[in-house]
Amino acid sequence: MSGYLELRGITKKYGDKIAVSGLDLGVPKGRISGIIGPNGAGKSTTIRMIMNIIAPDSGQILFDNMPTTEAFKNSVGYLPEERGLYKKMTLEEVILYLGQLKDKSRKEIEPKIDPWLERMNLAPYRKRKVEELSKGMQQKLQFVTTLIHEPDIIILDELFSGLDPLNIELIKGVLLELRQSGRTILFSTHVMEQAEKLCDSICMIDGGKKVLDGTMSDIKGRYGTNSIHLEIAGDGSFLQALPGIEKVTNYTNYFEITLSDPSKSNDVLKAIADKVTVIRFERMEPSLYNIFIALAGHTTGIAGKGGGHE
Amino acid sequence: MNKFWTIFKSEYAQVVKKKSFLVGLILTPAFMIIVTIVPALLADRDVQVQSEYAVVDIDGRGIGQKFVEALKKQKLSKDSSVEAYRLTQLYDMAGKGKEDIATLRTELDSQIVTKGLTSYIIIFPNPEKSDSVMLVSKSINFKTSARFDKAISNILASLRLEKSSVNLPVDSVLTMTRRIDMMQSSPGGKTRDFFSMYLGGIIFVMIVFMSVIGFGGILMRTVIEEKNSRVMEILISSVSPFQLMIGKVLGLGAANLTQVGIWVAMGAMLYSARGNLHVPAEVGTVLFNPVIIVFFVAFLILAYIMYATLFALIGSICSTEKETQNFMFPITMSLMLPVFIMMYVIQEPDSLVTIVLSLIPLFTPTMMVLRLNIMAPEAFSFSDPIILQAVLGFIITSLFTVGVIWVTSRVFRMGILLYGKRATFPEIMKWIRYK
Repeated sequence: MSGYLELRGITKKYGDKIAVSGLDLGVPKGRISGIIGPNGAGKSTTIRMIMNIIAPDSGQILFDNMPTTEAFKNSVGYLPEERGLYKKMTLEEVILYLGQLKDKSRKEIEPKIDPWLERMNLAPYRKRKVEELSKGMQQKLQFVTTLIHEPDIIILDELFSGLDPLNIELIKGVLLELRQSGRTILFSTHVMEQAEKLCDSICMIDGGKKVLDGTMSDIKGRYGTNSIHLEIAGDGSFLQALPGIEKVTNYTNYFEITLSDPSKSNDVLKAIADKVTVIRFERMEPSLYNIFIALAGHTTGIAGKGGGHE
Repeated sequence: MNKFWTIFKSEYAQVVKKKSFLVGLILTPAFMIIVTIVPALLADRDVQVQSEYAVVDIDGRGIGQKFVEALKKQKLSKDSSVEAYRLTQLYDMAGKGKEDIATLRTELDSQIVTKGLTSYIIIFPNPEKSDSVMLVSKSINFKTSARFDKAISNILASLRLEKSSVNLPVDSVLTMTRRIDMMQSSPGGKTRDFFSMYLGGIIFVMIVFMSVIGFGGILMRTVIEEKNSRVMEILISSVSPFQLMIGKVLGLGAANLTQVGIWVAMGAMLYSARGNLHVPAEVGTVLFNPVIIVFFVAFLILAYIMYATLFALIGSICSTEKETQNFMFPITMSLMLPVFIMMYVIQEPDSLVTIVLSLIPLFTPTMMVLRLNIMAPEAFSFSDPIILQAVLGFIITSLFTVGVIWVTSRVFRMGILLYGKRATFPEIMKWIRYK
């Protein structure tokens, strides 16, 4: 797969600790791609290497088949994981300053400020200082500064951390629009659910290594559909012993069962219906979360359904 | 280049727009006047109230009385008719026992502590032979001490003359041996006194010091702030660390020059509007000597670039302002060196030690500015050693500054992305060697 942005055999060590090991990654043009993985998997290190903030020990990073030099710096919009802006500057000044550092003129940026601030519900604060904004507002402002110069490729590290659901929806809307207009987006998250909803393709990393890579439909197809969402009236302790059931996970209000042979699902349903009343028996797609657990075999620092922590 | 200008303008505007810049414009010179000129004026000031003194004469030949007469000639100021000293009592203790004298001294000591008595002198027997006269006072006033000294010395000298075989009137001998205050002049007939050298030197050195510490400090703090707020990552994804560093150094440098420019304009306006106010003519000739001004501006800019780059280095390897304090001490010391050794430099502006010190890059700007002030070269001529040395110092320091910029640019690019801890020395050495 040849990407718009291409990482080839990227390795980065911090002393003895390997942060990223031989990572290959292609980010297709005009699509939303996600780097997912638990905390400490090497997501931010990878993104910082893409951004020329730290240099890889070995490997190559290409943008449009060219090394990521000055042209790349001007056509990328980057939102770092740790958020922060100049507290004493006004919103307008921050936007103008960071926009001009992307080689845009004041005249090019100025007319775009108001529409963006309105979109983010920040319009009344244009002449106010950044420190007067709430944390969520500052994040939205930073999102604006990432996009004000109309970058070709947008790289967002832990995009959704610290945002409330309303603002997450707002930003998702913007991202989907950007995709529509042909922009390339790469973001990292440890919240699988977000990646699942937004991404065209994902790269899953753990311990600095790629464990899974491909388009969303590919991956879902590859990891079959042998999971069943089951709700019953009564005690489910007999389930484990039933033939055809490989694994039972007991959640508070339902069970997730894994079939040993997906084609025999009817037999299993009959067997259960013989013993208790079945309220719901639904074949489900595996979530990225479950795929990750299956692949990496641990749950450290990963957030599944129900949103992120932090 | 565009990005450099963006950083340059932003750094400039962020400082100049602030209220603190306006306040600094007024307060800094005011502060400088207070700490430099006022003490000099105060030390020179006439005492405005009469001070009370007593005389204990154990000798008994009327020396005490003569002393009192002599002191009556001292007035509060030149035009005043009020005597500077008032006698509380003249104690004639000739022939009295040791215990009586001790009792009297205890009494006078307690008057000094609790009442208005400022001082008393004790004239021991035969002081012209033993030089035994003692001044007891709460504090040492240079002027009083000098006047008492002179009065008693004259009396003792005349006593000695009377006993000697010199056949001349006592007064004429005293006139002949009178001490004078010598005027100092440099070749070319310019009159310089200590005060104008001190004043000129300290004004220029303090301007360099204030602007380097002030603006270098701002630079260091913005680097630390950008590190802590992680804006640094956004900046580095847009510009190179070198562009960022140079943009910051020069942008703040322009703000610095703006400030100094306004100070100079303010000073010139005050000087031209001085009216009848007495300002020694030499102050004007020192402050408005074109050779000194040219060198001053050159060294100010050079000092700023050298030290601001060092401040950028410090900011990049520290993560809190507190951590920078260890580094601030040597920087302050090397900038202030001329102030510490000013007395020596004023006396020996041309000694080997002074020349060597003024050619060490970290000291060059302030030392050269001070020496130029003292030596006050008239024209820009290479036959004048001070001009030659100043140009040499400028070249050496410029080369050194290029080295500082090179080292800093290598450390800066790594240090600005180091969060939460201070870089160790081995780390810094490694960064310098990185490709």
